[in-house]
Amino acid sequence: MPSRADKANDAPALEIIRASRHFGSVRGLDDVTVTAARGEFLTILGQSGSGKTTLLRIIAGLDHPTSVAALRIGGKDVLGLPPHKRNVTTVFQHYGLFPHMSVGQNVEYGLKLRGVGASERRSRAEAALATVRLTGKYDRRIHQLSGGERQRVALARSILTEPDVLLLDEPLGALDERLRLDMQIELVELQRRLGMTFVFITHSQEEALTMSDRVILMRGGRIAQEGTPRDLFERPCSRFAGSFMGVENIIGGTVASFADGMAGIATPAGIFHGLWTGAAAPHVGQSAALLLRAEKLRLGATASADGFEGRITARIYKGKYIDVSMDTPVGPIHARAWTDDDLASETVRIGWSAGDARCVPAEG
Amino acid sequence: MLRTTLILFIAVWAVFVVVPVALLAVWSFLEMKDYSFSPGLSTAAYAAVFDSGRYEVTLRTLRIAGLVTAIELGLALPFALWLAKAVRSSLLKAMVLALLTVPFFVSLASRTIVWRSVLSRSGLVNTALLHFGIIEQPIDWLLFSEFSVHLGLLAPSFPTMVLPIFLSISLIDDELIEAARDLGAPPAKVLGDVILPLALPGIIAGLIFTFVPLLGETVVPQLLGGGRVSMLGASITSLLQVLNYPVAAALSTLVLGILAALFLALRLIGGGSIAAVFEGMKR
Repeated sequence: MPSRADKANDAPALEIIRASRHFGSVRGLDDVTVTAARGEFLTILGQSGSGKTTLLRIIAGLDHPTSVAALRIGGKDVLGLPPHKRNVTTVFQHYGLFPHMSVGQNVEYGLKLRGVGASERRSRAEAALATVRLTGKYDRRIHQLSGGERQRVALARSILTEPDVLLLDEPLGALDERLRLDMQIELVELQRRLGMTFVFITHSQEEALTMSDRVILMRGGRIAQEGTPRDLFERPCSRFAGSFMGVENIIGGTVASFADGMAGIATPAGIFHGLWTGAAAPHVGQSAALLLRAEKLRLGATASADGFEGRITARIYKGKYIDVSMDTPVGPIHARAWTDDDLASETVRIGWSAGDARCVPAEG
Repeated sequence: MLRTTLILFIAVWAVFVVVPVALLAVWSFLEMKDYSFSPGLSTAAYAAVFDSGRYEVTLRTLRIAGLVTAIELGLALPFALWLAKAVRSSLLKAMVLALLTVPFFVSLASRTIVWRSVLSRSGLVNTALLHFGIIEQPIDWLLFSEFSVHLGLLAPSFPTMVLPIFLSISLIDDELIEAARDLGAPPAKVLGDVILPLALPGIIAGLIFTFVPLLGETVVPQLLGGGRVSMLGASITSLLQVLNYPVAAALSTLVLGILAALFLALRLIGGGSIAAVFEGMKR
């Protein structure tokens, strides 16, 4: 247990420098560096197999890196230390609650291990339960709780030992949609209130965007992009990042021009311009992609600088808008129409302003 | 539906379990005359149990069965833990489980008789010890002693102890073990606070499946006890051979009574925590 004085130092809550983890010939984690400032809500975003869970297990001490330059938690070197000697706790995907213990016994288990007396344990556990809005559930059995309540018990149990870093392993995955949205807000509020460092693992770009201070997008054991939610959403640095962050229309082509941060991409339907958001400046002739979000496309008569004709193949009514699929010279394109008026004819002109388009390298 | 099934179960259970036991209890209060039951109740059979030294046989049987069960538990727990949680390859796991069942392919008598050539005065152990000069005279308590009976009982009753424990440990979600470690539990605490309580149903099943058959075991005491280690199974069999049904029934009833008392004690000691475990299994 670090003392209060340790906690007050300026070291980042978490530093992993150049960690790799190989499983046989598979590189589960490949030269990854992650740091988290104190009190930061950091999200590790990625599909299954991207290395995000491996990263979490290495931080928790449940797995060990094949090679690493440094691994520090709260400024303390924890390389090679077993989980019980690290001041980190985890909220597990399926909560990891002990079925043979009551809610209260689960919550105070960490304190019991640290030799805290029974009466103090109980009062602190009850306070933690109150923090997660479970006042009075101390004596309940785990199986009497709903999924959302179990989630909160797991949270209370993990924050009670005041870890330097709280790891959350897709904690909202098992909840139904409504509860998930509520818990997103609750988690962020809790994190702000406690000022605790949260490292949140998810595959949901929506959770990453709404909850995080900073997002690390992972792919194949490497970091694909990191930045604020706004960076990732508005300036994806690669075709993969764009598609993961939900860009509906990705048009392949080659770079035809590059000036003042704007690139021209030659596509089968002509040359279109957009803001270059790749990491390195492009060279002419390099293969690239034009990213267009469905909601930025305009359908209808008004001629815009950039655009082409499309033939409508499907209209799906979504309530607030209509999801329109079209066949175009560059392949299928998806757009959102806000009224039926734009969709009177079978062929329609698709337009957008160059400021809304993004250009990225085709790979990497 | 549940009602019908329950009534059916109770009916079948009564016919096949309650009636024989009740008859056994009744028999133990009868007397035999000229190879048939004479009318009237008596406690003569129970007096015979205590007079004829069969009471000592009962105590010895309980002691041997209890010690062998305790040793099995000590061996089976680490083994089951290793097999359930440390062995990651499912092929290796399947192979080890298959190896555990191999003894069932050979009859208990054939497996047991082999011990004689290992433990006898001129057997493997004595020959080796003499050869290396560790002893000067052959050790004669190796065979036809309580030692050889204990040893002979160990291997045949290992699977009945290890399999239920293995199953119950396998059912423990790895996430629970990781959660305990994550909250700061060193290995001993993970075992004591999480694995053992959750494996308790399997441990109790293993204790019962091992202890109860040991009480009735006849082959091993006969072959390795050499007439010096008399146990209950043989005692009851010999009584039945001379058609002394009341005393055989009294002895059996006595053992049943002792078992009932043991289970009652177990319930009183661990009842609450066992119930909690079963309750905890509701997900």
